Amino acid sequence: MTSLAERALDAAVRHATYLIFAAVLLWFGLQSPVFLMPESLANIVKQSSFIGIAAIGMTFVLLTGGIDLSVGSVMFLAALIAGMVMRALDLPVPAGMVVALLTGVVLGLINAFFIVVLRVIPFIVTLATLFLFRGFGIWLTSSTQFDFPPAMRAFGLSSILGVPLPIVVFAAFALMAHVVLAHTTFGRQVYAFGNDPEAARKSGVKIAWVQARVYVISSACAAVAGFVLIAQIGRLDAGFGEGREFDVIAAAVLGGASLMGGSGTALGAVMGATLIQTVKMGLVFTGVNLYLQPILQGAIIFLAVLADGLRNTRMRSRLRRTIRTVEPASGPAGRRI
Amino acid sequence: MTDILTLEGLTKDWFGVPAVSDLTLRVRQGACLGLIGQNGAGKSTLMNMIGGIVAPTAGRMLWRGQPYSPASAADAAAAGIAFIHQELNLFSNLSVAENLYIDGFPRRLGLIDWRRVHARTREILARLSLDVDPRLSVGNLSPGERQLVEIAKALHNEAQLLIFDEPTTSLTARETERLFDTIAALRAEGRTIVYISHILGDVRRLSDDIAVLRDGRLVDEGPVDAFPVTRMIRSMIGRDLGGLYPPRTAAPRPRPVLEVRGVTQPGVVEDVSLTLHEGEVLGLFGLMGSGRSELARILFGLDPHQGGQILLDGAPLPAGPRGRIRAGMAFVTENRRDEGLMMEASIADNLSLVSLREFGRRPVGLIDPQALSARTEAARTELAVKAGDIAVQPVKALSGGNQQKVVIGKWQMSAPRLFILDEPTRGVDVGAKYEIYALIDRLAAAGGAVLMISSELEELTGTADRILVMNRGEIVGGLDRAAFSDERILSMAFREDAA
Amino acid sequence: MIPAATAPPSASPPPFTPRRGLGARAGDLILSDYFVLYLSIAYVAALAPFLPTLTAPGNIVNVMSNMWPLLVVAIGQTFVLAIAGIDLSQGSVVALTSVVGAMLITTAADPAVLAKAPIWGLVLTEGGGPFAGLMGGVGLAVMAMLLVAALVGLLNGTTVAVLNMPPFMVTLVGLITISAFAIWLTQSENIARLPESFIKLGKGDIVSVHIGAKDSPQIPRREVYSFVTYAMVIAVGVAVAAHVLLNRTIFGRWVLAIGMNRRTAEISGVPVRRVIIAVYVISAMCAAVGAILYSARLEAGRPTLGGGTFLLDVIGAAVIGGTSLFGGKAKIIWTFFGVLFFVLLSNTLNLMNLSSFQVDMVKGAVILGAALLDVLRTRLMQERRR
Repeated sequence: MTSLAERALDAAVRHATYLIFAAVLLWFGLQSPVFLMPESLANIVKQSSFIGIAAIGMTFVLLTGGIDLSVGSVMFLAALIAGMVMRALDLPVPAGMVVALLTGVVLGLINAFFIVVLRVIPFIVTLATLFLFRGFGIWLTSSTQFDFPPAMRAFGLSSILGVPLPIVVFAAFALMAHVVLAHTTFGRQVYAFGNDPEAARKSGVKIAWVQARVYVISSACAAVAGFVLIAQIGRLDAGFGEGREFDVIAAAVLGGASLMGGSGTALGAVMGATLIQTVKMGLVFTGVNLYLQPILQGAIIFLAVLADGLRNTRMRSRLRRTIRTVEPASGPAGRRI
Repeated sequence: MTDILTLEGLTKDWFGVPAVSDLTLRVRQGACLGLIGQNGAGKSTLMNMIGGIVAPTAGRMLWRGQPYSPASAADAAAAGIAFIHQELNLFSNLSVAENLYIDGFPRRLGLIDWRRVHARTREILARLSLDVDPRLSVGNLSPGERQLVEIAKALHNEAQLLIFDEPTTSLTARETERLFDTIAALRAEGRTIVYISHILGDVRRLSDDIAVLRDGRLVDEGPVDAFPVTRMIRSMIGRDLGGLYPPRTAAPRPRPVLEVRGVTQPGVVEDVSLTLHEGEVLGLFGLMGSGRSELARILFGLDPHQGGQILLDGAPLPAGPRGRIRAGMAFVTENRRDEGLMMEASIADNLSLVSLREFGRRPVGLIDPQALSARTEAARTELAVKAGDIAVQPVKALSGGNQQKVVIGKWQMSAPRLFILDEPTRGVDVGAKYEIYALIDRLAAAGGAVLMISSELEELTGTADRILVMNRGEIVGGLDRAAFSDERILSMAFREDAA
Repeated sequence: MIPAATAPPSASPPPFTPRRGLGARAGDLILSDYFVLYLSIAYVAALAPFLPTLTAPGNIVNVMSNMWPLLVVAIGQTFVLAIAGIDLSQGSVVALTSVVGAMLITTAADPAVLAKAPIWGLVLTEGGGPFAGLMGGVGLAVMAMLLVAALVGLLNGTTVAVLNMPPFMVTLVGLITISAFAIWLTQSENIARLPESFIKLGKGDIVSVHIGAKDSPQIPRREVYSFVTYAMVIAVGVAVAAHVLLNRTIFGRWVLAIGMNRRTAEISGVPVRRVIIAVYVISAMCAAVGAILYSARLEAGRPTLGGGTFLLDVIGAAVIGGTSLFGGKAKIIWTFFGVLFFVLLSNTLNLMNLSSFQVDMVKGAVILGAALLDVLRTRLMQERRR
């Protein structure tokens, strides 16, 4: 039987991200108690909503063993199209958000078409659409900054029952994604697909449909993420969202999603995004050199990925078949024939 | 009794080559049909037709008296036919209950009705006497338990016909017993079983009827009472055992090559000792899960061992496979596809992989292409690999037998002292098998030593000088060629430890 | 003899057929190693009538000078892709080594710009870097750049090979931290005033050609076209060495074997971990050579070099050439043509006065086209084996 120490180590490895999160909070809290005040914590959640919402969508894709590099460009293009439609049709901001979401769905369908129908690998498809979507967006704006109607910022800075809007959207998406992944047939099939697509097909799962949907979800989430952030800023420039795909993937992986597929949760992505933001804010609070902050962030991501690897190695070694039961050390072991 | 499944004149051609031809077979409702045949006899094609994976070119199937032509695996499942394969279709990251319901969960208020899912799963598991929590992840189950989950899946889909395809290859002896009890229970419920296996004793024990396939045809069938193992083998092979193995051309010499002394790894092997001599072919027999492949991996340095010593030509071996290869070991694994070959690479590249170092010129290891291609070409000729241009043709385009020759050939090029062959004829057709046996004899005659692991007892008695038997991680006995007896070997292999 | 159930492959080579259909010949072309080269030539031929500047000597020189640094970096990436890995940290290695090299050899540093940098006073003073004016200082700086890169590669490779962490994440972390470190070193300022002997590596020419009548003894500088530059010699040298290494040596065979099937390679005695580590070291060192060429051309060490879409250019060029992201399928010559095509594409789009967005869109479309082409190639190959 496993010893107590071993089980404790097991638990630690399994919940490494939570432990790292707790340690980070504690560390910064000790450095600067203001950091743990409700306002600053709420601010962290608000700031993490942008990457967080996109990371929730990315988790779906990573669960299937795929990757979506186009999210940064989708953030930009969807927010832009929503703004243009809003301005042209004089739409209210919530309707604009729906437009952004629909744009995300369409862009996701483009990715899904190449991946599912033409069977090009996700890395290449989304690398290509990363360029395509951004190029299209810049063409639409003629490389100039795009200003949203003033109602946009009012919306972005509003709050519902005292909760800032970005947090409301973030929470709503997290909840929806959690329910879909954990409590619907589609959600469970996403996990099955990531574990073994061929077995999923044989088990009667419509795998093309499952795979297509995750890319649509990822793009839709990225689109809303972009819109929510832009709503707080009120304008959009050509570099918006550039390079964010890596932040989004890092947040999802930090939250326990594996790049090999089959493991990860929506709430994990929320935590991953929040953890990254906590570190960022903490570094600001404690006055660490601005230029050194990314290094510490990188170190934390590294730790989380390392913990994930250790977790998998431990799982695998436990699965190794035992041929003989290992008898207690006392007496000649199993030598009766 | 009525027939649940009838096959009439079923035929499948692959580019004009028949895999199954004009096959007519009845499966009686509630009975167990044992289906046997050599690799390549057409069993998998037949199963794929029943399972809706491939469509027959001619003939028809009747399922419960109605014409049956499944277009997909889902169709077969919907009709009530379930397959339990050697490689299970389970999701290790999902729970037992989720594995049962993955193609569609019952819903309540739009969401999965977990209470119903778990209650129903518990019910099915109870019928199989599998005492695990439906919420437990399948990744935490043993191979035997996973097999039962696969059966639970079949029961959940209300399968009436369960087709077991080599279900015991990854089970321990005890898990196998449990599976057989379950099969008996399934039959008691009135379900029909088709049992496919190379372990003829199991097939006889479970079946009411036996059907033998050879070259895509049904060559023999009858009730089990009239079907002794000898008749099974004769029908499968199409001739008597005599000509199946080449004669041994050399005798073992006294000088030991491999000496294993008390090798122990907790949970895997216990106190294994053996000596293998120059020119000797030593057979290692054991059921799946007896530790034979694990012992091979330990000897080759792929897996660790805690106690004991391994000596090659009297010298202790360095750790890890690379040191052991340099010391003169070769290892043909049981998993040709994932561990033996680079399927996409050319035959020549595969052949040269182990002995590349010999063709490098210092300082940067520049390869001498002429010398290399001359050697690979020579190896190909010696092995009689049937292929086109070996520098271009990928091994994936070769037949199983020729692929295996390439695996053996790549080791032979490094001129090793000791060959460890794990299931060297798995997935190899009868004709190529003979060539591989002859190759093994040549390796020994040239002064090498061969440790040959197999789950086919006949092939060991046909080729080995001596056979050791493994059971639950221990060597439980050994016999010299003169004393070979299937009965004694099998009784050692099957003996259950009281524990 | 009993016929086997599966069709045995024909023992004889396919019979020689003198007259083959157009389809078969198109197939040959697509499957050829030189396909992307033909594509580039066809592309130039198609556009030349409309873009007279395209084939002007000045533009050809320009295309080539854009090509060399990218080629060197893409060669490093090719090795990593060959073992089914990926190296996202290359761009950040370009940045870091650019800074490291420049700070060692700069001949003068402006305190108004760089005094806040942590290297100020430590390495850098108003009199420049420690190797400024030193005999062989440039050589020492180049060594230092390669050494720093090798250390980064060693770290990446060890983490991937020994800790079994996914290369995507390992090198992503590398990308984030190393570029931050490079920016921190100079507080995001450039280090200028590099010695002439270093700048020559990026701009200097060995063979120059003057095209046109020689009217006066003094040929104006802009009419001299440097066809053979130091950058070209370096890049082609790296390419040839890499080609030999990948195709003609034991190491190269091992690299491809690991990419094809790591388990098989391990059991066949390939020193898998050592090769993986070496490959990441090669990748980082190629990035450092790229950094030499870029910094010399810029005449400065710049901590933001290799940012933006640089990385995607590198991977895109390798993939267009035909190298597979799944490993085991890679050739230096493919990467060479891939880089050529990619650079030609950007160049022509610039000549057409297209803006960056159109360039981006065309790049995206080309990557997608290359991927579809790869799908087609695989299918063709499978059909031919029948």
